[in-house]
Amino acid sequence: MAEIVGGFLVPHDPVMFVAPDAPPAEQAKAVWDAYETCAKRLAELDASTVIIIGNDHYMLFGTTCLPQYCIATGHTEGPLDQLPGLKKEEIPNNESLARYISNEGKASGFDWAEARSFTTDHSFSIPYQLIVKRASEIKGTTIKAIPVYIASAVDPFITKERCIELGRHLNSAITQFPDAEKVAVIGSGGISHWVGTKESGRVNEAFDRQVIEHCCSMQVDALAALTDDMVLENGGNGAMEIRNFICAMTAIDAKRGHLIEYQPVPQWVTGLGFIELCVE
Amino acid sequence: MKRDVLERILWSLSVDRFSKSKFKENPEKYLSRFPLAPEDVEMILSFDVKKMQEMGVNPMLTMGYWIEMSPDRRMSSYNKKLGSDAQYSASIKG
Repeated sequence: MAEIVGGFLVPHDPVMFVAPDAPPAEQAKAVWDAYETCAKRLAELDASTVIIIGNDHYMLFGTTCLPQYCIATGHTEGPLDQLPGLKKEEIPNNESLARYISNEGKASGFDWAEARSFTTDHSFSIPYQLIVKRASEIKGTTIKAIPVYIASAVDPFITKERCIELGRHLNSAITQFPDAEKVAVIGSGGISHWVGTKESGRVNEAFDRQVIEHCCSMQVDALAALTDDMVLENGGNGAMEIRNFICAMTAIDAKRGHLIEYQPVPQWVTGLGFIELCVE
Repeated sequence: MKRDVLERILWSLSVDRFSKSKFKENPEKYLSRFPLAPEDVEMILSFDVKKMQEMGVNPMLTMGYWIEMSPDRRMSSYNKKLGSDAQYSASIKG
């Protein structure tokens, strides 16, 4: 049977790749090093598959169809939005586990939108390339990765309550999967950032610290209790991605969180938090 | 104009190569296939991203449209067009 071995909450900030030298060097190094720390920890966890919970940025899904939650069950490549140092590539999906999750969902009230051939965006590919692919290099084996996309950046937003339910469903489906997989889950996003709005460049460290506290103490309900109005006001439209955190935390059923790094980086328009979620 | 139609146009102009090409070729002709009032066409042609956001358009689309299609693709110009607060936009390069 498959088991869940842990996971991470990490950012997916494209500005890091576009303007790597914009922040002070020490701050930039701390952020890049945090990804490397996550990669080393993932290798130590001996994960064979990673589910990355991210969100579209109105690139992959258009106005003709905006899924609440979507899983890639087949051929996967990405990212669509290539960046310097983040080039498009084939991604080794764990298709049998992805299909199992989707089928289990249909039997338990979760009608997944399925992407049979999928191109990711940076919300998947940044943690994939900097953590999962890097951990594969460290281990010398291929770690597979499954994209899960939830509606965190484009309305109609998935409700936070549904994120909790979806996370529980993921946990149940993964742990019932008959093959011997070691699965980690990454929640990709946040924390405070204003994307494309006139406040872009604002970072709210107080809000970020509040989110980090909830994540490290596993207060999923407290995180879910932050209203959308409160999140938009204090964390910006980009902070709606705490939905990805909520879903990942419940999918892992983590017992505790450990802050790896936090850096408020206005030059990269984001408060960047890295948390390891531990199952023991 | 309904926000939905505007979002469809901006999404196409952000990600669809064919739409981008047709728009660059003849923007008025490209826009004529959508149910737009003259003031809506003018808003799109003048890259009035501030007004679009006031109409409820997702900021990720106004930003994508600006980066992909505007003559001046710099984020500093985009922020100026939005009337950004200088204390925030000063930290952004480019």
